[in-house]
Amino acid sequence: MHNGKTSIELVVPSILGYEIVARGAVATFAHFIGFDQARIEDLKTAVSEACINAIEHGNQLQPDLPVHITSSYDGHRFTVEVSDTGTKPFGTITEPKTIEEKLAGAASLRGMGIMLMAALADEFLVEPSAAPGNTVRLIWYQCEVAQP
Amino acid sequence: MIELRLPSRLGYERVAMDAAASLASRMGFETDRVAALKTAVSEAVTNAIEHGNQHNEAMKVVVLLTVRGDELIVSVTDQGHKAIDAAYVNRVPQISEAMKRDDKGGWGIWLIQELMDEVEFTTAPSGGNQVRMVIHLER
Repeated sequence: MHNGKTSIELVVPSILGYEIVARGAVATFAHFIGFDQARIEDLKTAVSEACINAIEHGNQLQPDLPVHITSSYDGHRFTVEVSDTGTKPFGTITEPKTIEEKLAGAASLRGMGIMLMAALADEFLVEPSAAPGNTVRLIWYQCEVAQP
Repeated sequence: MIELRLPSRLGYERVAMDAAASLASRMGFETDRVAALKTAVSEAVTNAIEHGNQHNEAMKVVVLLTVRGDELIVSVTDQGHKAIDAAYVNRVPQISEAMKRDDKGGWGIWLIQELMDEVEFTTAPSGGNQVRMVIHLER
């Protein structure tokens, strides 16, 4: 178990497939911190979605535009921030449609990423970056193990 | 290019190993070559944490992974508290000698040179130690 504040930073090009490298790096970090496997699987899916959004939408698939991923742990909170360079700003985030609503034709069958991230992370936030661009912040809280 | 910045704490070399392995697998490297790459990256990052940055967690180890055609270039840079001993770069460690010592270390540089296709030890513009390793994809 890791108790101090610590972080890793990763920069990947805007090429689909590189989200696999990013999610693997963050998952290895989470494993090292002591997260259980089920939470790591949630984290991998959410980080993949955030990176794909940044590559596809924020950076419009322009390979030379970087996606920045910062993952940090402060002793009980694990945070992942994914930032693009904001070629295209995120639209206003409304309440994500449910799968049932999508299947009923009330929304596109795509666009599941935001719903997934909101469902899988303990906290999910999209905001403009300090620099031009969008930042997705995903937070998980470390569950305390009950002592017998 | 992928850039990875890690704290100088043992264990974080696994993040670099997995990132390099993931990229190499995506490029089509065979499993045994990926395993060799993981070992070399692990040794280079561990050296940077232990020796170059002297376990100072505030100091970063920077790993750059660059795909160029059929080769993967890995650069590992520390902040250079302690320079790599040039004698280690050309030394071939002997198991018989190592067995006589309490400290069984000192195999990292030799392993990196054995496992990678090209290896170069230089000083980074920032003043730290830099290991540049290249592995070629054989089709």
